[in-house]
Amino acid sequence: MASFDVMPDVQLYQPTELDDALNLADQLGDKGWLLGGGQDTYGWLKDRAKHPQAMIDLTGIDTLRGVREISDGIEIGATTTLREIIRDERINRDYGLLVSAANVVASPQIRNVGTLGGNLTQDTRCWYYRRGLDCYRAGGNTCYANSTESMNREHCVFGASRCVAVSPSDTAIALTALDAKMVIQSLQGERVVTAEDFFVGPDTNITSMTSLGRREILTAIRIPSKWSGKKFYFEKVADRNVWDFALVSIAAVMSMDGDAIADSRFILGGVACTPHRLRNVERAARGKSLSEESADALASLASVGADPLNYNHFKLPLMENLVRRAMRA
Amino acid sequence: MDIATYKHDVWGTEVIRGVSWDLLWLVVVAAFLVIVLHGIYEARQERGEQPSSDGDRIQRHQKIDRIFHWIMAFSMFALLITGILPIVGVNFAWLSLHWISGLILTAIVLAHILRSIFVKDLKSVLISAADIREGRDDSKKPGKYSLAQKGMHASVTVVTLVVIVSGLIMFAMLDTPWWDRTNSMSESALGWTFLLHGLSTLALVGLISLHVYFALRPENLFYLRSMFSGWISKDELSANHDPERWAPDESP
Repeated sequence: MASFDVMPDVQLYQPTELDDALNLADQLGDKGWLLGGGQDTYGWLKDRAKHPQAMIDLTGIDTLRGVREISDGIEIGATTTLREIIRDERINRDYGLLVSAANVVASPQIRNVGTLGGNLTQDTRCWYYRRGLDCYRAGGNTCYANSTESMNREHCVFGASRCVAVSPSDTAIALTALDAKMVIQSLQGERVVTAEDFFVGPDTNITSMTSLGRREILTAIRIPSKWSGKKFYFEKVADRNVWDFALVSIAAVMSMDGDAIADSRFILGGVACTPHRLRNVERAARGKSLSEESADALASLASVGADPLNYNHFKLPLMENLVRRAMRA
Repeated sequence: MDIATYKHDVWGTEVIRGVSWDLLWLVVVAAFLVIVLHGIYEARQERGEQPSSDGDRIQRHQKIDRIFHWIMAFSMFALLITGILPIVGVNFAWLSLHWISGLILTAIVLAHILRSIFVKDLKSVLISAADIREGRDDSKKPGKYSLAQKGMHASVTVVTLVVIVSGLIMFAMLDTPWWDRTNSMSESALGWTFLLHGLSTLALVGLISLHVYFALRPENLFYLRSMFSGWISKDELSANHDPERWAPDESP
């Protein structure tokens, strides 16, 4: 694979109005590339593994930035940087789970420029795919990561369908736990989808990790007040403490009724192509208190249905232990 | 417009990736044009009175054959819908539905072949030299199946066998409830398999479009009815077939 220090020749559009960006996205279609902080984009382009003809830089559109109160919760503009989220008082007070997630994304430098929208829509880190091989995800007819000889330590244990890549986004699991809604705009209008529906697996669309169409722009993320100020747990396990992607991570929200869990959402990252919701754990957690005993009872449920590949069996005890730790907290 | 698309394998060698799906639109337009032109041609022909469906009935298709036909039809439509919609941009979880339909089609085609060889009169559907000689002679009526029907059956048989065999090879390269996938096929062989599967799919789109069109033509509706009910009338038999060459049971 060719690798260069310089960017390829590519046109750069820097609209300052959303309407202009939508028009550009519509005109350019498959030839265009939406640009947030660029932290995923520049690697693709420098490696010459993706070949857009033009980039549409969204960071100059003021309406896509910032945190706003809405009738039911808050709305975060898609180009709000991760650093801005980490420092936002309201998010810290009410939705600390998102702050915990944003705080472990990559490195401080990347969090300074990386945007929430970019973190959510970034592509998978499967190195066979990133290297530019013509795998299923790249439109080809095979998966190089799923065979007896493949190196698939970081790949999925749930939801494989020809492709075994995982979602790399730390904030995706936090927002799925918080039952966030994604606001998507196109020239045809606005549509709002839940985080669970926003992320799609290879069984549905093998060439995209989200339901975002080529001519659509993720403009904002709405977090409802339902989980505001509730009990949160976030933990990311990676090979390095900074500048690394999760091997397995967990985001959990719990609504307590006295000592007992009245309602909860447990989401795992790094184990599937989408944030993986542990519905069986959520059902079993109802009415339980946070204790060592509950932790042991629920932990084994986390890996039910998992189908590990050759080199990622270690993810099973890892996700069980993360559930155990969430229930101890 | 290319027939195939190409990619580089893991060693950097150019190999076939699969069929060029741009051909789908060519097939759809071509089938549409054939149907429209045939419809115009037939509309300009003078036709005599249609044979009556009243009176004595003759059995054309046994119940087991009708069941085979409709299971084949439903599985074929399920395969085309689940296979083609994602290609034209309608995203849904199609793969499991596709291979389950494929296995149903494989099983029913296998059963149909065995029944045709060992139980039924296989020769009645095979194209003979006499069929070709008499193809343009309007004074000669066919036996159970006309040359056009035999031609359609032969074409669909060949293309369906290709789509089934290539589909089973592709299925073997997937994770299934019964086995884990391997990378045991070379990328070149896999590309050829995808190409054959794609080309046979395109052929089926065209053939099935024509099959449905001809089945729905007014003069052929009695054949469609017989595929539901099993019978045609004696009047329909004598108007379209030579009783000397096809002497069916008279008790449907």
